[in-house]
Amino acid sequence: MKRPASAGLALLVLAAVTGAREAAGDDTKPAETKPFPPLFADGDILAKPAPYFRLDSAAVRYTRFDQSGTGYQSRAGKPSGPGSEEMRVEQPQLEVVIKQGAHLTHRVWIPVDVVTAASPDAIDVVSTASRRNEAASVDWTATYARDHTTASIRNGHHEEENYRSWNSGLALTRAFAEDNTVVSAGVNVVLDWFDRYTLQGAHDGHNARSSINFNAGVTQLLSPTTVAHLDYGYTVQEGQLSNGWNIVPTPQGAFQLEKLPAERGRHAFVARVAQHLPWSGAVHGSYRFYLDTFGIAAHTVEVELHQRIASFARLRFNYRYHTQTGADFFRTSVPLGAPIFATADSDLAPLHAQTVGVKGTFDFPVSFARTLHADLAVERYFRSNDLRVSVYSCGLGILF
Amino acid sequence: MKRFIVLASLALGLGGCAIVPQNRRARLADPMMSLADDPLEVHRKQKLYSTREGAAGGDGLAAGGGCGCQ
Repeated sequence: MKRPASAGLALLVLAAVTGAREAAGDDTKPAETKPFPPLFADGDILAKPAPYFRLDSAAVRYTRFDQSGTGYQSRAGKPSGPGSEEMRVEQPQLEVVIKQGAHLTHRVWIPVDVVTAASPDAIDVVSTASRRNEAASVDWTATYARDHTTASIRNGHHEEENYRSWNSGLALTRAFAEDNTVVSAGVNVVLDWFDRYTLQGAHDGHNARSSINFNAGVTQLLSPTTVAHLDYGYTVQEGQLSNGWNIVPTPQGAFQLEKLPAERGRHAFVARVAQHLPWSGAVHGSYRFYLDTFGIAAHTVEVELHQRIASFARLRFNYRYHTQTGADFFRTSVPLGAPIFATADSDLAPLHAQTVGVKGTFDFPVSFARTLHADLAVERYFRSNDLRVSVYSCGLGILF
Repeated sequence: MKRFIVLASLALGLGGCAIVPQNRRARLADPMMSLADDPLEVHRKQKLYSTREGAAGGDGLAAGGGCGCQ
């Protein structure tokens, strides 16, 4: 009996309160106002579309190689050799990367070599090869990237005093397994056209050679701190494989031009691994095995230790050891006119070589770009058959 | 050599079974971990070795060619 009376009372109170609010609302209803103009447009909220062509990065590098030593292929010395292999190379490089739209990237690269060498100078009296030789290349790579696949096409031209070269290449990469695995494959073709000289240094027409290279590789994430890469490359060269002025001494104290086979097949297998270290560092290791039809087999081991020393700076220490057997026809002396393949080129001799180096890299945050990059590297290369090279290199780049 | 290739392939294959998720790749994204050098430095190295070692090149680019010294 009590419940209906309570409910009726409650309804009465609710109606009274509601009516009071509505009455109060009539008195306090705000006057109608004009809508404010918007303080920002849609374009201020949404990201502005990037320009169709935009500069992504620009970089320059200058390197100087100072070489000293001797080799039997050099003419800069007594005829029975060895002659001087003294050489200095100054190498400026320029690289510009431009984005076109959302998927296409262009890379234009211009390396220049200014070579001052003793051996070509020895035949300069009657030839056009000179003590100071300038060489330059222009290389353009276009890369189309979409989803997990990239496709690249590369074309280049190399020009120097007594030498011209053209190169083209195609490359594909495809990422699998949530980008844990990246498989790559490529093919490159190089055509060389260069002056031929007589033994006395007179110009004697032209020579040509071609190189075709196939590559396949895989990069694999092994753990959150480890990544590895395997690569195999096969190159076959055909044509005149000598540079045109290398000599082979004779027992009689004279010399003759080196003579190389007209074809060379070359296999190279590379394994690399990088491991992040807990103290803001990383160690890289690589091994390379090489075998060719000249009879050269080579093993190369390289170790790099990277250490971050500040948020914007890091150091790299590197050591490389290389050992190779000589070409089957490497000789430092051959009887005049002997109908056999022969070279005295110290690069094709049995040798071992070591490289030690250090590099400092600095990536500064700047207001006008994403990063301002600078680096400085020094390396020393020394070979068992009397060759030493000091390398000084510095780079500067802007990442926009 | 064959044994090395087989072992290396096995190591990579087994590693490939353990997917590293995107949110655990911070250390892999560190520039120090990049297996590929700056392209201009790659050319510097190629210049050093390809004109001084008959066994240089062939991995990634054609061995020989492109330079009168080779």
